[in-house]
Amino acid sequence: MSEVILKGIKKIYDGDVTAVHDVNIHIKDKEFIVLVGPSGCGKSTTLRMVAGLEDISDGELYIDGKLCNDVEPKDRDIAMVFQSYALYPHMTVRDNLGFALKLKKVPKAEIKRKVEEVARVLDITQYLDRKPKALSGGQRQRVAIGRAMVRDPKVFLMDEPLSNLDAKLRNQMRAEIIKLRSRINTTFMYVTHDQTEAMTLGDRIVIMKDGFVNQIGTPQELFGKPVNLFVAGFIGMPVMNFFAGCNLLLEGGKYYAEIRNVKFELDEFQQKALKSRNQKPCEIICGIRPQHITVGEGELSAKVEVSELLGTEFNLHARSGDDEVVMVIPTMDLNTDVSMGANIKFTVQPKLIQLFDKETKNNLIWYDPVSAKANAPECARY
Amino acid sequence: MTENAKAARKKKIAHVVMWIVLLILFVCFIFPFLLVVINVFKTKGDITADPLSLIGAHGFTLQNFPEAMKKMNFLTVFGNSLIITVCSTILTIVLSSMTAFVIVRNGRWKLCTLIFSLMIASMVIPFQVLMVPLVSVYGPILNSRITLILMHVGFSMSMAVFMFHGSIKTNIPLELEEAATIDGCNRWQTYWKVVFPLLKPTIATVGIINAMAYWNDYLLPSLVLKKKELYTIPIATQAFYGTYSTDIGLIMAALLLAMLPILILYVFLQRYIVEGVTSGAVKG
Repeated sequence: MSEVILKGIKKIYDGDVTAVHDVNIHIKDKEFIVLVGPSGCGKSTTLRMVAGLEDISDGELYIDGKLCNDVEPKDRDIAMVFQSYALYPHMTVRDNLGFALKLKKVPKAEIKRKVEEVARVLDITQYLDRKPKALSGGQRQRVAIGRAMVRDPKVFLMDEPLSNLDAKLRNQMRAEIIKLRSRINTTFMYVTHDQTEAMTLGDRIVIMKDGFVNQIGTPQELFGKPVNLFVAGFIGMPVMNFFAGCNLLLEGGKYYAEIRNVKFELDEFQQKALKSRNQKPCEIICGIRPQHITVGEGELSAKVEVSELLGTEFNLHARSGDDEVVMVIPTMDLNTDVSMGANIKFTVQPKLIQLFDKETKNNLIWYDPVSAKANAPECARY
Repeated sequence: MTENAKAARKKKIAHVVMWIVLLILFVCFIFPFLLVVINVFKTKGDITADPLSLIGAHGFTLQNFPEAMKKMNFLTVFGNSLIITVCSTILTIVLSSMTAFVIVRNGRWKLCTLIFSLMIASMVIPFQVLMVPLVSVYGPILNSRITLILMHVGFSMSMAVFMFHGSIKTNIPLELEEAATIDGCNRWQTYWKVVFPLLKPTIATVGIINAMAYWNDYLLPSLVLKKKELYTIPIATQAFYGTYSTDIGLIMAALLLAMLPILILYVFLQRYIVEGVTSGAVKG
């Protein structure tokens, strides 16, 4: 069992700057959890508090059931991969890999065996006697991962490990990490600002902004059930389209979303959810994913400004009133003119429309004040 | 003449002038050394007759060396110089790099900043100002190699800390130390196993600069060491300067013997000196 529990964790610098607000995360044994968010959101600080590199200002941290707030990093049984690899430049790859074991006074034969085994798994055996400066970025990253693997830790911490690599290598290494995860089967905490990494690697994703946890959920949950405008805009590529100045109408006991004076009758699930919270008609922001838009027919219209052919699909950047609308249309489904300047009709299935309160920016369907309070009491302000 | 040709000619003239200036400076610096090397293999009479000739009238001789070694008690004074230089250099390197490490990594601690500022300020105080108080305060413990070693270390710490401070701040990423902490290093192990080996160029620079200073130092040892058996090489060369006569040949031999070890050290480590002095100037 290597659960990690963060209970009301806070990080306050110099007595008044709060970098992390009251974070509550329960990471299950062998779970791969990804902390994602824009720069300065507190994700790395949270990871560093788990590693013991930053003091915890308030709250409790449990690793494997043991309160670890004041436990030295070396006694937490964790390993960490840094963004800059942090390999010791004066040591060979072999010495880098075996350094932690040497400090633990593990017998030399055992160190040799473990180092060679890890090198074989990561395919770096031929580089064991080289120094880090003689390795490429990808090879260095593998050594950094190997250095963590060789310790066989309870928790594997990774702080933006792929952000120094070029796009192609990053894709390769992402696949390597997925394979590695299935091989070593331990608990992972992974920090990134790249939502693609978060979506492809994580069992669950924690979305942070300005030190607050906004939502914790599986990639599917975050994509389909964003609790607020920030999460909706952060997850998904291209980003979700937001239509300001829309209205939630209640007519004849039924809820409608009104976008550009076009009324969409919401589906049964949405009706129930809104009724259960006794939602009053109000001004809302409607969110529609570019992939959920159907072009060629419908009540809404837009003028194509940019049309990008990406092989199997078109990315259309169009203008509808004051809003820029991005649409992803599979090439094979397209039977209308989408050239620059063309006027197109489009529509969306009502069940795929996300409804956000104009004031609180919370999702009227998916925002749950109770679970939000459990994660971060102030998350509601988004 | 076109503009281009004019510019090229100007450049060529500047180049020639630069080389002439360099050559003059080179000759100025190398001349005393050459004079020593030429005259050390001549008899006293030949040196007096023609100090600039390559070989004297009595031919090439090595006689000055054994005589000089005997007269200055070379083995003892060489041993003294060696012990004092090696110990002082090692202590300076270890203590100053440790001090710099603590100061750099506790930059937010005001006491560290204050200590560092005081160290830098102390560099402007000339040694001559401290001479008299130094001897009067340390009177009872003078005449000891350990006293001289500690004084050497004390006087060179400021500059060494300053150099290590810059090197650690610029060249040692904090993430390396954090990685070491997670790998299981305590503070001492982080310094000794990770930070210290990475300071190699600065260690070489501080080492060679201070070793040269300690080896060649005359003033401080002459104040501290009064017993003949504790003399270092520079003090021992005094034996050749008589009131009525001075044997130039023996002095030349003694000087050459004195400078030889440090010259060899310099030849081996010179590339690190440049590296160490410029380290941190450009982000690598």
